[in-house]
Amino acid sequence: MHSEETVDPSQVILWSDDYEGHDPISTRTFGFWMYVLSDGMLFATLFAAYGVLSYSHSYYTGPTPAQFVAPWYTFIQTMALFLSVLAYGFAMTALKNGNKAGVINAIIAAMVLGGVFIGLDIHDVLRMIRIGATPETSGGLSAFYALTQVHAAHIFVGLLWMLVMLYQILRQGFSEDVVGRLLSLRMFWQFQAVMWVFIYVFVYLWGYMS
Amino acid sequence: MSHGHSNPIHHPEVQMASRRNYLTGFVIASLLMFAATWLVSAQALAPFGLLLAIMGCAGFAVIAQVYFLLHIDISEHNIWNTVALVMFIPLFVITIGLTWWMFSQLYLRTMPMIPGMPGMH
Amino acid sequence: MLVNVPGPWSPLLGRLALSEIPYKNLILAPLFVVIVLVAIALIAGITYYGKWRYLWKEWFTTVDHKKLGIMYIILGLVMLFRGFIDGLMIRTQQALAVGPGNNGMKAMGAIHGYLTPFHFGQIYSAHGLIMILLAATPLLVGIMNIIVPLQIGARDMAYPYLNALGFWITAAAVFLIMISLFVGDFSHNGWFGYAPIFEMAYSPGVGVDYWIWTLELIALGTTLGSINFLATVVKMRAPGMTWGRLPVFTWSAVTANIIALTSFPCLQVALALVAADRYLGTHFFTAGFGGNLMLYTNLFWLWGHPEVYFVIIPAFGMLSEIIPAFSEKPIFGYTAMVLATFAIGGVSWIVWLHHFFTMGMGPYVSTEFSIATMLVGIPTGVKVFNWAATMYRGRLSFSAAMTWAIGALFLLLIGGLSGMMLSIPAINYMVHNSVFVVAHFHMMLLCIVYAVFGAVIFWFPKIYGFKLNEAWAKIMFWLFSGGTFLVFFPMFMLGFMGETRRLDWPFNPQWAPWFDVQEVGIFVYVLSVLAFVWMLYVSIRDRSQNRVHSADAWGTSRSLEWLTDTPVPFYNFAMVPHINARDEVAWRREHGFLESNPDHFKAIHMPNNTPMALYIGATTFVLGFALTWRIWWLSIAALVLSVLLMIFRSNRGDPGYVISAREMEELDRESKAHMQEKPALPLPQGGFAGGTATAYSPLPHNNSPSGGTPPSSGQAL
Ligand code: HEM
Ligand SMILES: [Cu+2]
Repeated sequence: MHSEETVDPSQVILWSDDYEGHDPISTRTFGFWMYVLSDGMLFATLFAAYGVLSYSHSYYTGPTPAQFVAPWYTFIQTMALFLSVLAYGFAMTALKNGNKAGVINAIIAAMVLGGVFIGLDIHDVLRMIRIGATPETSGGLSAFYALTQVHAAHIFVGLLWMLVMLYQILRQGFSEDVVGRLLSLRMFWQFQAVMWVFIYVFVYLWGYMS
Repeated sequence: MSHGHSNPIHHPEVQMASRRNYLTGFVIASLLMFAATWLVSAQALAPFGLLLAIMGCAGFAVIAQVYFLLHIDISEHNIWNTVALVMFIPLFVITIGLTWWMFSQLYLRTMPMIPGMPGMH
Repeated sequence: MLVNVPGPWSPLLGRLALSEIPYKNLILAPLFVVIVLVAIALIAGITYYGKWRYLWKEWFTTVDHKKLGIMYIILGLVMLFRGFIDGLMIRTQQALAVGPGNNGMKAMGAIHGYLTPFHFGQIYSAHGLIMILLAATPLLVGIMNIIVPLQIGARDMAYPYLNALGFWITAAAVFLIMISLFVGDFSHNGWFGYAPIFEMAYSPGVGVDYWIWTLELIALGTTLGSINFLATVVKMRAPGMTWGRLPVFTWSAVTANIIALTSFPCLQVALALVAADRYLGTHFFTAGFGGNLMLYTNLFWLWGHPEVYFVIIPAFGMLSEIIPAFSEKPIFGYTAMVLATFAIGGVSWIVWLHHFFTMGMGPYVSTEFSIATMLVGIPTGVKVFNWAATMYRGRLSFSAAMTWAIGALFLLLIGGLSGMMLSIPAINYMVHNSVFVVAHFHMMLLCIVYAVFGAVIFWFPKIYGFKLNEAWAKIMFWLFSGGTFLVFFPMFMLGFMGETRRLDWPFNPQWAPWFDVQEVGIFVYVLSVLAFVWMLYVSIRDRSQNRVHSADAWGTSRSLEWLTDTPVPFYNFAMVPHINARDEVAWRREHGFLESNPDHFKAIHMPNNTPMALYIGATTFVLGFALTWRIWWLSIAALVLSVLLMIFRSNRGDPGYVISAREMEELDRESKAHMQEKPALPLPQGGFAGGTATAYSPLPHNNSPSGGTPPSSGQAL
């Protein structure tokens, strides 16, 4: 079918002379965004498991979320995380202006607030263990812990990553690699807040309600 | 890869950061979470209405975050991220929804449910 | 928190003890000796020929997508062989054990046949896991790795280093499952695992733990790979390579990797929860304590069904490249083909319950999943008709690759129709867990194997510069098909006769004749394996006769990978081509542009080799091994080490190196000269120097095409 068209050999472009290659930063962030989404799938699977394991019989004879969830306590945790994400957002606006001190300060703030989140989480877990709500108690509690602590593990990884980024900013300044990583970390961090909304509302609040 | 030679700070994905957007996203999400917490702890509505209300809060908070923070829109630089997200969302729904449906049907047939017991169905 | 294990445990070695090594087993002990001898011979050989440096520099540290692809394929072939031996043992056991009475080999401790039930269970579990995840998957990923960047005009994958990392993590999984042969034992719960048998109370050994960590590593490696493929296709296409011009194989790679990206996390979660049950004492899948057995089955098949499409869709893509090339026609219904691929990918996400219709969730749910399963037949049918229409009135040449492709179509037909039968719940209740199911999915998976053999024969000359021996490839085809027919068709009958799957003792004497037929079949397969090895030998021996002197090895190929030199130089394209049509090479051929080469060049930027991926892969292996044996200090050390290595690599980054326009011109001239050189080089007969055979080996020096060595003059950035 092609042979029917007439092609003027002098007009045909066979080799890409002015092709500049791909854009490394957006290639990196796009790939990372796909990772983040697959991470979302991981949470979705955990939610599916939680959905199956949060019937009344799932808690066996152990406590149910209605007995151990403290909504306002977890709300403070929520605010710590949201503020941390906001702080990281300010790191991004500082980056936009090439303001190194601004980026570093904002990341440190994000780390402190993330640390507060983890601290509150650990404190909460210890409290639950004291009242006998351990993951070994029942399938329902296993699923509760899986969701909340997998999220906490993500936060921990994020904090570690921020630490590495601080070092790299100091060492290399805003090189292409560093900027690409900062953008990826932004998506990672903000996505944890999105997941937390689901966990907070559907695991903590709904659990408390029923 | 001559992009490597231009200043990475001028990359459009860096330049799209916006203090206003981040603040807006933060405020909306925080207010909604506050509302949900208050509704639940005050038992302000009947259980079913309460459930719908907090689901609404979660939904809008997530939309605000995805739009204002994650820059999910159809601009040239974000379109592929948006496409990827749009591809994933149905799968999230399928994973959770179909699983939940199949097991609720299974439990209907296999589990003696005592009416009035706390449960998620 | 931590579950107490039955039996001894020490802080230093965990559950590991000398008694875990089955040196008294009459099968494993000799096998171990053989493997050790082969390993010693290999190491001695490499040392004798002084190839360590070469292996390390050119292969172990490479980030070149073609070399990683080749390593994936070699890994896949080796594991295909291991899985085949498992299959041979399964068949032999059933043939020996069938019938009433006590007919076992006493020396082996078996009451029936020659294997104990526990050992038999490990064999079929390893067989299934290996064949799907460590043979089919690496073979497909390997071919995609080589072909996708070439088909879209890219120099490499989007993330070359991540590509290497994915490979080495997969290799770690292979080592983990291989070591389970000789240290401890493997799971006996089938490749997909049954709850609650895999719980600690019922499977106290390390077998299930090996199974968990092997699968987790594969899942990790494959997810990384899928991100890479998608980013490559989205971001790295050459100018003019619009979505409407993307070759069908690349489209299928896109679909398959979307499936992998979205579904592998489910597997990771399912297995992580099994691990939590076994290590931390949670109650996800326990019977009682509020756990739910079927939740596991659900989560597993949530991944499992998309996974089967992850493996078949690239195979469909291969058929879509081979059939047009040997029909001398463009693919029929390109758009329909692409849409059908996506439809299959989409539907594959809403059918997983057909693997456990018998759970008993009632008619509504069953109906939905039954209808959804049947829907898959529509796009699959579209594809089959399109392939048929491509061949219709084409100028067919039945080369070996085409023969394999057509064979694949037949298997697809049988497998698909038997799948349709299984998708009807009323039928499914009758034959679920019978060998009818086994026959069904072997038809499907063998369809993949056929497509892979076709693809290997088809693309081999592109990579190595010479063709595989056609006659032996066809002999292998007929032997392999004979084996397929004799081994798997009886399973359809046996399934209807009520034989359930995984029987270490098939008690019914009426089955015996079919077992004998199958046993004959498996030996026909053995012949085909020999034919394969012989084909490789003959092809390498006669490579100077079978050299390819043009970019397009078959003279009728259509897509972009056939535009660059043969064998493909390490930079893929001297100048990135500008794409003018779907089937660019066919278009250039028709308009007489095939011979026009770029007249000027540009500097290009290439990534450096790095051993870091290999190191991190090694730490993941240690992590898997330490977790299996519950050696906590080693697990933590391996985990910390891998994180440190990642941080280290991240801090250093990779500046890559630049090949200037002048050097590029020189490289291109050399590569073209090599390709076109008509008189065959005086080559030694048999064996080959250089460690890798290309049409030009022995290579005069390191800089030649496909050598992959950064030219020494390439300056660092
Ligand atoms: C037309 C498309 C297909 C249909 C309608 C179909 C249907 C089914 C059904 C209903 C089952 C469950 C049988 C049972 O356990 O009772 C099944 C099992 C299976 N199918 Fe398919 N299938 C199709 C294509 C495929 C493909 C393309 C593959 C792989 C490449 C595949 C691989 C498998 C495997 C591995 C199993 C069994 C796994 C196990 O139990 O170990 N199927 N299929
Ligand atoms: Cu299936």
